[in-house]
Amino acid sequence: MISVHSPIVAVGVRAVTPLAVVVAAYLFFAGHNQPGGGFSAGLVLGAVLSLRTVAGLYKPVNGSKLMAAGIIVAAAVALVPAAIGGGMLDMVVWSGELPLLGKVKTGTAAIFDIGVVLIVVGLVDAVLDGLGTDDIAIDTPAATGGAQ
Amino acid sequence: MPFVILFVHVAAAIAAVVMANRSRIIAVVAAAAAPATAAAWGFTALLDPDTARAASFTWVEGLQLGFDFELSPIAALLTFAIGVIGTLIVVYAHGYFGTPEPTLGRFLATLTVFGGSMLGLVWADSVWTLFLFWEATSVTSFLLVGHKHAGSGARTAARRALMITGAGGLVLLAGMMVLIDATGTHLLSEMEAVTGTTATVAAVLLVVAAATKSALVPFHVWLPGAMAAPTPVSAYLHSATMVKAGVVLIAIVSPILGGTDAFKYLAVGLGAATMFWGAIGALRQRDAKLILAWGTVSQLGFLVLLFGVGSAKATFAGVAVLAAHAVFKAGLFMIVGEVDIRTGTRDITELGGLHRSMPVAAIVATLCGLSMAGVPPLVGFPAKEAAVEAALGLAGTERLIISAAVIAGSVLTVAYTAHFLLGVFGPNASGPNGANVDTGVRPRRPAMAAPAALLATASVLGWIFDGTASKPITRAAAALNPKADVYELINWPGATTAFFVSVGIVVGGAALGFARSRMLLDVPRTVGANAADGLLDETLVIARRITARGQHGSLPVYVVTMAFVIAAASLIFVRPALDSVGELPLADGPGQFALAIATVLAAWGCTRVDSRIGAALALGVVGLAVTGLFVVQGAPDLVLTQLLVETVVVVGFVIGLGRLRRSFPVTGARWQQIRAVVAGLCAAGVAAALIAAEGAASSATAPPTERLVIEAVEEGGGNNIVNVILTDVRALDTFGEIVVLAVAALGVIALGRPALVTPKTPISPPTREEVRA
Repeated sequence: MISVHSPIVAVGVRAVTPLAVVVAAYLFFAGHNQPGGGFSAGLVLGAVLSLRTVAGLYKPVNGSKLMAAGIIVAAAVALVPAAIGGGMLDMVVWSGELPLLGKVKTGTAAIFDIGVVLIVVGLVDAVLDGLGTDDIAIDTPAATGGAQ
Repeated sequence: MPFVILFVHVAAAIAAVVMANRSRIIAVVAAAAAPATAAAWGFTALLDPDTARAASFTWVEGLQLGFDFELSPIAALLTFAIGVIGTLIVVYAHGYFGTPEPTLGRFLATLTVFGGSMLGLVWADSVWTLFLFWEATSVTSFLLVGHKHAGSGARTAARRALMITGAGGLVLLAGMMVLIDATGTHLLSEMEAVTGTTATVAAVLLVVAAATKSALVPFHVWLPGAMAAPTPVSAYLHSATMVKAGVVLIAIVSPILGGTDAFKYLAVGLGAATMFWGAIGALRQRDAKLILAWGTVSQLGFLVLLFGVGSAKATFAGVAVLAAHAVFKAGLFMIVGEVDIRTGTRDITELGGLHRSMPVAAIVATLCGLSMAGVPPLVGFPAKEAAVEAALGLAGTERLIISAAVIAGSVLTVAYTAHFLLGVFGPNASGPNGANVDTGVRPRRPAMAAPAALLATASVLGWIFDGTASKPITRAAAALNPKADVYELINWPGATTAFFVSVGIVVGGAALGFARSRMLLDVPRTVGANAADGLLDETLVIARRITARGQHGSLPVYVVTMAFVIAAASLIFVRPALDSVGELPLADGPGQFALAIATVLAAWGCTRVDSRIGAALALGVVGLAVTGLFVVQGAPDLVLTQLLVETVVVVGFVIGLGRLRRSFPVTGARWQQIRAVVAGLCAAGVAAALIAAEGAASSATAPPTERLVIEAVEEGGGNNIVNVILTDVRALDTFGEIVVLAVAALGVIALGRPALVTPKTPISPPTREEVRA
């Protein structure tokens, strides 16, 4: 039932993708002061990946790489401060003025959160892979496009 | 400094791997540089013993997590020995491995990491640091013994070594925990002497741990098997490292546990038994390398016996023999490797007469061998002399027993030394098919000959400059037993009782060895090793059968089993739950009550529908109702996350349900009853646990939210407390959780993938034959 691709679904998913990426980015940055954060952003991106998989636009094969990258990023944030003489997971906060955005505040916690995003996306990717999507994403020309 | 040296080891290991195939010489120099820095540091410590050398890195204060290093006098001596011999071993390995050798990079890297682990072990002051590096030497020696992993012999030997030494590591951990409990500190340098039952338990555990590492009877079976390793490894493992770890352990805990009868009797008993059994084993062997390996077993027994006796003189003799043994045994193994490479055999029935074709090796081997036998003018003589004096200096029954053991063991040592030297280099009298390698040995390799020659020279110099050589030994012994600071190595004692005893030992042993070398024996069977392997195999067979029975592969049965266990575990909460259930309100508000009812109804409906899509929808209702509960409680972060999870799960259902039948399979009535009962029990149990927890929480003090709000803004610089907690205040927890996520996902891939490849194959328990294969 799902191996038959519906062009309507494919077009719809394509249209939704950039919006969802924007939502994910919003959640990622909003997480500092409002609901959101790396986990939510990762889940939104994961949902996009799932939809694109179902629509035959994406083949989930990058789970391991994404998770590895996430762990490396998070571990780097954890270990670099220890290596340069601080405590493990010591966070630094930067704040400054940016054009258009005004006063912004960020820090190494945001980098740590990027690791969380990567791992959550990788997790969804891996689960999709484990569910077996070989028969969904076969020879779809758009399958090489992936999700941004 | 310890951290710098360990870092150098890691860097050298990486450099060796990267460079081995591009520039062999750079790889070798890098691998040699690491132990050389250690040797240099050890040397400065020997020259300037009064400066305290310690370093520590604390990670988590309260948990004693971190590294604590302290360079005690005995550690300084061993650091110097490990460093110098390690450097020579790398040079030797350069000669040992032909060109090109594709595995050289791996070999050098493992050897370097192993050397670093050994250094960490001898420097360790904290029990946890000691344990960490102890296990690191077990694992790296496993890799070294199994270096030629294409051969099943090497693999079996490596596995045997890992199992025995690894199990010993656990015993060490147990023993050290007993010690920590008894002394109240995890720093070895701060531990006071303990007595009583606790001390006895700790003593038994620690001596057994040392016995596994130092190959004492009956754990010695891994060591002869470890001869499957390339000879540079054997030379390193058997001289300054690995097997010395157990002896060092005995030495450093001897001030703490020395007053315990169990420690003394066990160490002396195991030591004496090992000394005899090892020497007899050495005399039985035909393989020159195995003669030395069993000789090592015997020497280790001798060392443990000396440290077990505990008198000042015996401790001094122990340290002296420890140092002398490192020097001569490394040299002897290097010679065996050279003989092996140049003649193609190590069987003494095929060797003999090599003093003509390999004169340098013959001289070096004779010097090292005589040092092992305790003959002047070599450093082994004053060391052995000190041991004999220590034995004779005791009183009463102890004097009789220890003296007899030391003298008899020494006679056997001389005998197997003679057996080895005559068998390899002497006139070939041992077999009919000998004398065939007089001619045609391959050319000498300087990189192999030079390190051995240096070590032989060191043995001679140690005897000549006995005063200089004995200073670090005396200091190390005095650190273990303060009364030992009056002793020193004496290169020519004159006509003392001990001297005449030594003469008797050498004469008797030489006669025995000469007689042995004229006999031709069969290759001895490896009874002990076979028994150890059989035990391990049988354990694995049993383990796999239990696994096959428990892991039947039925998902419903797994789930029901887990639910049942949860229900059983919640039984303890029933009582407190009943106590506090009356005090709790039914619901915080009407909305919460309605949503809870909806959740329960949807969950119940999920179990009642026949179609899978229906069940998925019901689950979705459960999820949304729970989201509603979060809304009512005012937890926007949870609402967002829960909604997103539900969304992703829906897509997952779409994919998953597409390949399943529309309805659930029909199950038997009995199984349905079991499921219903277990589900009910589980629900009751979890409810009881939650009620009990709520009751406990309501009676406790106010939640720490106030503090977290302040911390979040001040430390994390954010107003969303939840996220600041996740990514800053409790980032380590988050890090652990995301690692768990990743591992779980890898499990999903691993479990999902094979099922797709072979969809319909039922999982059946393996047969006994399959298990064995």
